[in-house]
Amino acid sequence: MDDVAAAVEQRAQLQRAPGLLRLGGHEFAPGRPLVMAIVNRTPDSFYRPGLTWDEAAALERVHAAVAEGADILDIGGVPAKPGPEVTVAEEIRRVVPFIERVRAAYPDLVISADTWRHESATAMCAAGADLINDTWSAWDPSLAEVAAEFGAGLVCSHVGTLTPRTRPHRPAFADVVADVIDRVLLLAERAAKAGVDPDRIVIDPAHDFGKNTWHSLEITRRLSELTATGWPVLMSVSHKDFVGETLGADLGDRLAGTLAVTAVGAWLGARIFRAHDVKETRQALDMVASIKGDRPPARAVRALA
Amino acid sequence: MIVAAAICPSPPLLASGMTGQAEILPDLRIACAAAVARLLAAAPDVVAVVGPAEATAPFDPAGELSLASYAPALRAARPSSGNSMEWEAGSSAAAPALPLALGIGAMLLDEAGYQGPRAYEGVAEYEPAAACLALGAGIAASAPRVALLAMGDGTARRSASAPGYLDERAAPFDEAVERAVRTADLPALTALDPALAADLLAAGRPAWQSLAGALSVPVNHLTGAAGRLQTEVLYSDAPLGVAYLVATLIPQ
Repeated sequence: MDDVAAAVEQRAQLQRAPGLLRLGGHEFAPGRPLVMAIVNRTPDSFYRPGLTWDEAAALERVHAAVAEGADILDIGGVPAKPGPEVTVAEEIRRVVPFIERVRAAYPDLVISADTWRHESATAMCAAGADLINDTWSAWDPSLAEVAAEFGAGLVCSHVGTLTPRTRPHRPAFADVVADVIDRVLLLAERAAKAGVDPDRIVIDPAHDFGKNTWHSLEITRRLSELTATGWPVLMSVSHKDFVGETLGADLGDRLAGTLAVTAVGAWLGARIFRAHDVKETRQALDMVASIKGDRPPARAVRALA
Repeated sequence: MIVAAAICPSPPLLASGMTGQAEILPDLRIACAAAVARLLAAAPDVVAVVGPAEATAPFDPAGELSLASYAPALRAARPSSGNSMEWEAGSSAAAPALPLALGIGAMLLDEAGYQGPRAYEGVAEYEPAAACLALGAGIAASAPRVALLAMGDGTARRSASAPGYLDERAAPFDEAVERAVRTADLPALTALDPALAADLLAAGRPAWQSLAGALSVPVNHLTGAAGRLQTEVLYSDAPLGVAYLVATLIPQ
């Protein structure tokens, strides 16, 4: 019983009051959900592979994402799924010059570095990234030091027992949500101790990562338990397999499911939404924000004349 | 006696924040503010607001527009800033709710910064002209210097997308009202047909006729004649299918 009490006590200590989220030079209030647009500098990511492999195409994608309301760009050079090795040098070659170009074009835009290796993260932050999106749950524990060194933010995620770029095989949890919360709060605390600004720490349950479809549905259903910790929650669900399996929908047919998960997450208080479809995600989030009463309608005239 | 009178419409969209992030009909807002400013420039003892209500009755001078009836998320009167619905707490959250027309009038007085005495007179939508005239005369006699704000909307059938759909009789009706106001033709306002006005959803008819009653009271005690009125129409249009008329009528 003492162990349980101690665990409850420790979890309570790790909670924080929901407040400002700082990214780059920006401060975001809790009522304003953010769109994190995905820009993959890869030839083989799972959704629309190679779409932004070409640098000109990637820059076009950045312009479009910004125009459609993206608050954050998430730039990565290594796909999450298993595949040909991408060395640190190759990862840096793919993303760092690109981050420099994006930073030059958009001095104030929040840039997120989608990487799990501290060497790459260092180069990306030096090039102008404001946030390290570590989807692989501190597989490389020195990412927090990199974030602290550059004054950058850090995403603390949950992947169960996975190593980077591997697929989950029969993951099992006594309580997947408790496992997620324990892990991300532990990482958040570690990051803060390493010197990362607590206002720049984000937690991510990481749908599909180390989880089957039932697990991802469960963390979506119980997302309020994550948001109740007070740490800003990132949802990364765009076109993922749990959406496809839930709907029996092929890769090209998951937008509606993605937006449904997005809406539920927004309703339950998630604050950052990593998305391929920026305009649609922005609209879904704006709609939910107005239902919640956080955002006035763009124009309300109907029956008020 | 009446020292100044004005006519304003009372669509809910005039209320601050009601139209969301978009600013709708800014020229109408400006016209209403200008009309109210002229009322207050006459240094009245009291501002009387008359507007259509379910029944003819005075309302609480401390009453306010019930924003929440139209936009439940707008809990208090003033938006704080920007893209947010976090509202500053209203000064009198528990104030009694006024009918829409009187509530918009109250809001216009608030926005003009008016701190003086107020009277709110509801006039029933079905009230015949004679009763409206009598109500207006009573308002005029209520203080030495009365400013009258008549909250009156025109027809709501000016276009196919109007609330009441298109009725060909609507535009001529609104034009007749505007002409009567512009030329200070109080008998023409008095002669407006309540049944036709109701058909055309012209909610302002009893308010205009109350205004006619208030301004028909003789102001020259020696001759007994009604004084000359200086009139100005500040706005007259139906951009959303409802006729909005903003005007001032100042006894000389």
